[in-house]
Amino acid sequence: MTALGFVKLRMRCHRERRKEGVGMGDGDIAASTAIALHFLCALGLGAGYSLAQLKHHLSLVADPAQTLRFLLVVQGPVVIGIYSSVRRDREHCSYWKAVARGLFGLPVGAVLNAFGAIVLGAPVGIKYWPSTIYWSSLMSLFTFVPALCVFGLSKMDWQRILAHSIPKEIVDCVVSLPAQGAILGAWLGAWPMPLDWEKPWQEWPICVTYGAVAGYLFGMLISVVFVHVLRGQTHVKAE
Amino acid sequence: MAVAGRSKWGLIWPFFVLLLFHSLAIYTFTRGFLLTRTELASFSHCSDLTNSPCSLAIYNPPPDETAQDRGCWTRPAVDRVVIIVLDALRFDFVAPSTFFKDKQPWMDKLRVLQKLASEEGFSARIFKAIADPPTTSLQRLKGLTTGGLPTFIDVGNSFGAPAIVEDNLIHQLVSNGKRVLMMGDDTWVQLFPDHFNTSYPYPSFNVKDLDTVDNGVIEHLLPSLHRKDWDVLIAHFLGVDHAGHIFGVDSSQMIQKLEQYNSILEEVVNVLKNQSGEGGLHENTFLIVMGDHGQTTNGDHGGGTAEEVETSLFAMSFQSPPASISSVFDSSFCHGDLDGQRLCISTFEQLDFAVTISALLGLPSPFGSIGRVNAELYALNARTWEGQATSASDCQLLSDLAAWKQNYVNALCINCWQVKRYIDLYSATSVIGLPSEDLHHVAQLYSQAQTKWPDTASSSCSRVGSPDNILDSLESSLQQQIDAYSEFLVSVAKLARSAWTEFDLLYMGLGFSCMLFSLVIHLLVIRRLSTLCQSYNNSLGIFDNYFSLVSAFLLVAIRAASFLSNSYILTEGSVASFLLSTTAIIRLWCSISKWKFPRDELLFLLLSTIIRHGIDTGMSKETSGSSFLFNFSKLIFHINEGGPFLMVLTDVLPMVLLSVLAFMLYRFLSGISCWIHFKYVLFIGTVCSYMLIGLHWISESNLMHISMRVQYTGRNLAPRVVYAIGFGLLLLSVLCQLFDNNRVQPTERLKVSALALLSSWSSTILILLGRQGPFAILIFIVAAWCIVRSWREQWTESNSRNMGVLIMNPIPVIQWSLLAVCLFFFTGHWCAFDGLRYGAAFIGFDHFNIIRQGLLLTIDTFGVSHILPILGIPLIIILQLQNSKKNVSEDNIFLNLTQAFLIYGLITATTTTFMIICVFIQRRHLMVWGLFAPKYVFDAVGLLLTDGLIFMASLYYY
Repeated sequence: MTALGFVKLRMRCHRERRKEGVGMGDGDIAASTAIALHFLCALGLGAGYSLAQLKHHLSLVADPAQTLRFLLVVQGPVVIGIYSSVRRDREHCSYWKAVARGLFGLPVGAVLNAFGAIVLGAPVGIKYWPSTIYWSSLMSLFTFVPALCVFGLSKMDWQRILAHSIPKEIVDCVVSLPAQGAILGAWLGAWPMPLDWEKPWQEWPICVTYGAVAGYLFGMLISVVFVHVLRGQTHVKAE
Repeated sequence: MAVAGRSKWGLIWPFFVLLLFHSLAIYTFTRGFLLTRTELASFSHCSDLTNSPCSLAIYNPPPDETAQDRGCWTRPAVDRVVIIVLDALRFDFVAPSTFFKDKQPWMDKLRVLQKLASEEGFSARIFKAIADPPTTSLQRLKGLTTGGLPTFIDVGNSFGAPAIVEDNLIHQLVSNGKRVLMMGDDTWVQLFPDHFNTSYPYPSFNVKDLDTVDNGVIEHLLPSLHRKDWDVLIAHFLGVDHAGHIFGVDSSQMIQKLEQYNSILEEVVNVLKNQSGEGGLHENTFLIVMGDHGQTTNGDHGGGTAEEVETSLFAMSFQSPPASISSVFDSSFCHGDLDGQRLCISTFEQLDFAVTISALLGLPSPFGSIGRVNAELYALNARTWEGQATSASDCQLLSDLAAWKQNYVNALCINCWQVKRYIDLYSATSVIGLPSEDLHHVAQLYSQAQTKWPDTASSSCSRVGSPDNILDSLESSLQQQIDAYSEFLVSVAKLARSAWTEFDLLYMGLGFSCMLFSLVIHLLVIRRLSTLCQSYNNSLGIFDNYFSLVSAFLLVAIRAASFLSNSYILTEGSVASFLLSTTAIIRLWCSISKWKFPRDELLFLLLSTIIRHGIDTGMSKETSGSSFLFNFSKLIFHINEGGPFLMVLTDVLPMVLLSVLAFMLYRFLSGISCWIHFKYVLFIGTVCSYMLIGLHWISESNLMHISMRVQYTGRNLAPRVVYAIGFGLLLLSVLCQLFDNNRVQPTERLKVSALALLSSWSSTILILLGRQGPFAILIFIVAAWCIVRSWREQWTESNSRNMGVLIMNPIPVIQWSLLAVCLFFFTGHWCAFDGLRYGAAFIGFDHFNIIRQGLLLTIDTFGVSHILPILGIPLIIILQLQNSKKNVSEDNIFLNLTQAFLIYGLITATTTTFMIICVFIQRRHLMVWGLFAPKYVFDAVGLLLTDGLIFMASLYYY
């Protein structure tokens, strides 16, 4: 499916959903699903990292590009698969369409993340290209892909996600908090890079990756807390 | 004008008060921090030796020796010394490339020294000489001749080197009847105005000039070697230093210079060798080829990094010392040289230079010297004592080694006594002195060493037993004595290094509290203005928008706290661009979340990318500025140097950008309806100066072949006319502002006056910045435009009522100041004294004048980072007024302008306060003189300049 055709399809999907008046709360997911989703994502990341280390003897510090590629290969299907299953408009968009959206979003998000990193000071030499590409694809998995899988191209959802820092729905939590965590973590992870400790992990993109992963996991933790709070609220409302 | 019943002075006086407070704070803190070591006015004399414990009977001069031959403190080992100083001689210029991991193109160019060192292992030797920071030529010359540790404050005198008042090697030479011949760098003449018998000084300041000094030295050096009328010859070559400053180490000019030196040194060695026979002119001559400091691969020096402090010293005596002496030489750092011969390199502290040369010549060492007589340099001349071994101790025939050791011990004894004398007098006379624990420790070491001395001294005569036993025990006891003395001297040097800079904590504390107090005042003034604004307009003040307040606070805090680490100071430009890009990304986010196409934000991000690359590449220097374009094009297009495309890029593009700037000025001006006549004068004047700048660049480049006459006009006359036009326009705009009482269109008036100010400054700054100038200024203008445009939503939202109300938001001002910091680094400056672009001071002038060149250098350094951004602050207000169609009252505009000025000042003051804290904490840090102190000086000057400019700008605009 060409990208244009895909976008058209999405728009139609969206319009149809609107017509039928699917409200905001309708697409929301259960708290237990959200927690399970986070758990699986974290598990995927952990499994990917330990598999890389144990089976292929890859470490992030020694060979960042290969490790990042391995993480991408493991985590990619996990994230796209899981987030597609909690897609917003389940009646009109099939699971596979959501998966296609995610696959389409991966390079787009990677380009955005790479651009951001380069603006902030990531090195641009040819020898950094592989690691930059894999790193930004991984960042895309953390940030852009989940949102695209879940929301598609719905303007309203995107605007809500971007504008409100405090999410009001469980699905918003699940999508935006880990993403914000990953971005903030990566931003903070760049801080040790100029220091003169001369440690191998200060190289691009190692400590930024560490920061991003730490932020991602922390974001998930916060998200779990939020999910609990939001569930409490809905319970109160229901009563 | 009147704001809510206040006169314009009501808005201006806070700036003046803040300026006063900041000046007071900086003055007090600087007095405490940049204190010099107390210079003692005492001098060493020959007769002092009778007070020392070393006058024991170890050495009874034969009666036939004259006083001149005998020397006065030690027995002279050499008669004449040739000192060739090659400025900024890196260690790897001299040492063979086999000593390093990778062979670089600049290595192995001084082959003659390597050959001598490997072929004549006992009489010629290469040393790795360690300089003490600050590694600037003046400080190093002072350190080399006084044997002390010159402190940082002298760096400030680099423009006009002051004479050395302390006791020093040259003074000792002269007062003991040695004739000194000097040629080369005129800094020597400034340091020692009436010491030299003959001197051939050449101006050293014009860094663009690679050859004048060197050719002058070459002209005089070889003829002088055949003459008898000197005892010490000093030849100081500057070409390598200048080549490094202008072209960097990895350049063909540098290699040419080194090859030239190689051939000169070869000739010098030949002359000396030929006349070194018995009774020859150079029978007892000692040759030293040394650097005063190293340099980084970019050609910078001043700091304390390994590349800068590691220089080399080659020493050669023309009489071979006996082979048994060889055990003295350190053989721990040896490699094969290029021909596969074994070559050893030792280490030498520059601190030891003065005392070692004094000891070799038999002179008193300078009073303030804290160095140690270097064993290996001393041993190179050991042959001289061979015949005198018996006379040194009447009772036994000593081995060469033992005789040498005895002499060395004697020299060390005097050396220790002199250092102890200095330390004692110093701690008695100076106010704070040295830490008493360390002093006690040092005194203990000294007394331990000295109590052994009589035993050692007498043991040489009184032992009985078989000669071999005596010799062994004598040698070992001498060695113990040497070790004891060395331990004392090493710990003194350590004490001096760790504790020399005498910080006056009281003054530092006072200065710091003054700074804190001024910050409080600053905040109170902003608060007061904000409430004034609020009551006046019934709108929100700065302090009501918590989000922007918190993020503003965070941004400033992160930037300020980054000064606490040396690494962040080194990469300050990248830190600033990181923060600037962060704000840009946040703006982009906000814009997208409102579902608008973020045109300005994207443009701004693009600009930050360019700025960021410029900062990364700006550290490596290229000729006449256009470093960024040059490197960028090399990086992106992989084009060769000298290709036609590159020529177009470096020569034509700046002109095109210049005309773009002129066109922009035209567009801005054309929309203005007041100051009609002045408008045309301004435009014509600015365009004229831009054309002159273009002429200047053409005459400097080799784009076209033009006559000498035009070339001279373009080179020297055009810049002067540009400066004059700039000054004239500045005066004219001030006059216009004074006599213009048109209060009808405050926005128009503010706009035209700001434009007048900026364009009158721009031409001077452009010509000083060189070809990168138009590019940098264009970036500044577009980035400023983007900053203001990206905030326009915020403005118009708040301007919802009929009468527009402006609300000050601190974030754009912070972006503005971050942009200024980025531009400072983008244009190839950095916060170190070698980061000053000295070449800029000579645009339009060939000769050095401290006021004129100082002024030009200041304008070049702070032009694009302080002068333009601060004078351009009104643009923040004006540009956003243009976007909203509503009328805004004059009072509102000026209240906002004042707040913008105040916030800008507060940002600078906060970062400087953190710099003060950092310097206070890190005052014992290894890099305090190399990194923190220059940064502090730049920040302090920047703060005062900011305050002054804001004050002047407020006088002008209000």
